[in-house]
Amino acid sequence: MFNEMYQSESLIRNHYNNINEWLEKMTAKVINEKNAEAETHFRNIGITFSTNSETARERIIPFDLIPRIFTFSEWSKLEKGVIQRAKALNAFLADIYNQGEIIKANIIPKELIFKKKSYEVSMFGFTPPRSIYSPIVGIDLVRTNHNEYFVLEDNCRTPSGVSYMLENREIMMRMFPDLFHTNRVTPIDDYPTRLLQTLMSLAPIKCNTSEPVCVLLTPGPLNSAYYEHSFLSDQMGIEMVESTDLFVEGEFLYMKTVDGPKKVDVVYRRIDDDFLDPLCFNPNSVIGIPGIMDVYRTGGVNICSAPGAGIADDKAIYIYVPEMIKFYLGEQPILENVQTWSCDKDDDLNYVLDNLSDLVVKEVDGSGGYGMLIGPKSSKSSIEEFRRKLSANPRGYIAQPLLDLSFSPTLIKNQVEGRRVDLRPFCLMGENAQLSSGGLTRVAMNEGSFVVNSSQGGGVKDTWVLAE
Amino acid sequence: MLSRTAEYLYWISRYMERAETNARLLDVGYRMSLFPNPNGYNNEWESVLAAAGAIQGYKNKYNIIEQKKVEDYLFFDEDNPSSVFNCILNARSNALVVRTSFTPESWLAINKTYQEILKLKNNNFNASDLPNLTEWTIEQVNLFRGSLSSLLRNDGYNFLYLGLFVERADNSARLLDVKYFVLLPKPQYIGGNIDNMQWSILLRSLSSFRAFRWAYDGDVTSTKIADFLVLNSDCPRSLSFCIQNIVKHLTNLTCSPEKVNKIYNTLKNLNIKIQEEKIESIVDFGLHEFVTQFINKISSVDSDIQKEFFN
Repeated sequence: MFNEMYQSESLIRNHYNNINEWLEKMTAKVINEKNAEAETHFRNIGITFSTNSETARERIIPFDLIPRIFTFSEWSKLEKGVIQRAKALNAFLADIYNQGEIIKANIIPKELIFKKKSYEVSMFGFTPPRSIYSPIVGIDLVRTNHNEYFVLEDNCRTPSGVSYMLENREIMMRMFPDLFHTNRVTPIDDYPTRLLQTLMSLAPIKCNTSEPVCVLLTPGPLNSAYYEHSFLSDQMGIEMVESTDLFVEGEFLYMKTVDGPKKVDVVYRRIDDDFLDPLCFNPNSVIGIPGIMDVYRTGGVNICSAPGAGIADDKAIYIYVPEMIKFYLGEQPILENVQTWSCDKDDDLNYVLDNLSDLVVKEVDGSGGYGMLIGPKSSKSSIEEFRRKLSANPRGYIAQPLLDLSFSPTLIKNQVEGRRVDLRPFCLMGENAQLSSGGLTRVAMNEGSFVVNSSQGGGVKDTWVLAE
Repeated sequence: MLSRTAEYLYWISRYMERAETNARLLDVGYRMSLFPNPNGYNNEWESVLAAAGAIQGYKNKYNIIEQKKVEDYLFFDEDNPSSVFNCILNARSNALVVRTSFTPESWLAINKTYQEILKLKNNNFNASDLPNLTEWTIEQVNLFRGSLSSLLRNDGYNFLYLGLFVERADNSARLLDVKYFVLLPKPQYIGGNIDNMQWSILLRSLSSFRAFRWAYDGDVTSTKIADFLVLNSDCPRSLSFCIQNIVKHLTNLTCSPEKVNKIYNTLKNLNIKIQEEKIESIVDFGLHEFVTQFINKISSVDSDIQKEFFN
């Protein structure tokens, strides 16, 4: 097991020395006060999420006071690796919606792509501005050793969590300003500006102004990421719209304002493909903007991310990302994939069934840490129950070994204890490819747990990247 | 600015204003209940319900009118669309949508109010807590209004204030009307002790008791109070003041001049009339008739604003 702070039982890693001193000076009273302050702050600003639970109107994610720290050189490697991956994923999308070279080269079987629901037929033959399909890529990473990172999954549609990255930093700077005097922490507060620049650099062909009008399209206040939508549009200074605020007339998309219609050039959408355009996708959808796909395909507006971008983060496609990197970029992958058995192959399925108690099995279309089996942590009976589900629908599952996620010091009942963490940094792809200088660190607050999802007792931490 | 944003801003300040009016109304009822009643006549809580426009809803739910139930209905009840709780809930869910269109302080003011009223609602309150609840509500609404002072003076600001003054004009007019036709059911009381006491309670409920003393010398008479609350444009709750401010924030809008003009034209005469009117001629004409006309006019201005700008 790898501990982010302790090199050995008695030896602290250099870059955690300051934090260690700070921790030793903090009394239980101060910790309690600061925890309460953070909670009040998060409630007041409204950074809440809704869960499937009926009991609470709104919940906040537990916030751990101890930051997770990366050195400059550690981060440089991650930065190169994530950008490499984001480039390959975009190249893959451009390819499969046009020539399909990777299929002709027999690297990825065509039925894996064309039979997927997330493959969007209406995108075939159309290339969005700069060939960017997924302008914001969130890559979920785990660390298992000093120099060993694995990619758990890619998020090419509308990855969320960046508001936590920014708000966690805000609250840390507010509560512990001294920490930022003694540590050289790379700022992240320019992320919204960079995001806006990225969106503006992706203006459609028919846009003839140097300052394209961008909007953020949200499904509305009931969406669990609604805070993030309003936060980002606020920080970028753009309108947050719902689909009823938009309409198509002629070749363009407009929003309804008190001044009358105003033309929109770029839509940063945080709604699913299905709800974009009832004329093109789900005809039963009552939300959506009729005709927006026609405007999009004729260069009147850009939709970010592109419809159909989700095929690139499909769990069955994930297996091929290292191959994509070699194929499109001619480079060796910097970040590793987790070894994955895809249960629709007979050999793989047999191996998985024989080794269920050692593996993690996930639903191909699952998310949020639901519907998965963690073999080494499960009882015999739940393994047998899962075996039946898996045998009935092998196509629906993939399996991976249980990774030994790194431990990060975490305050549990005012004591510092090791808890497992993952990381989601955010990569922007526009005129430039760039990585946020930080990301969202999620922490499994329960002892021994591997599940970091907020819906299942996960918390968050501020993530520092130290300046060179 | 998005039409929907303008609409939400307009309604946020309407809801906050309404929350305050309802809290003040409860305070009126509370004060009246502490005074001895004439000839066993006891209708203060019914009057309060009537003034809040909630009497029908209340009677659908309860058979008898009593303090604790009225307080609960007007303050916390989620079945009452205008309860203080619902006003704050609605203001907050609108604010959630348009929080980017005003300052973070305005959002905080509303969201903190919401967080606290959730707690208040969960604690069973005592009837004697009512003055505290009223005070708390007024304080919260003041926090919100204060936060608006740092806003950019753009159309969003004007829509917020349009909502505030449309709501206030309506509320003040209704309170006046209630004084005449509900509080004082028998004509023979007019001019008596009870009459004057009720007038001063009305002044208190409009947070204007001390202001009235500053503005008028001599005896407290119903004519002076009517003058104060209808025509005196120094009084921030008078009908005249509300109209002037509706005109001001309407004509300050920079969007769609032709729509602004259209609404202004329907409002112009009322504004001129109320600035030139004398209270004696209003009383001769009938205060109730005057107030009814006024309420109708405000409601048509409201629907014009909604139709022209929000649809």
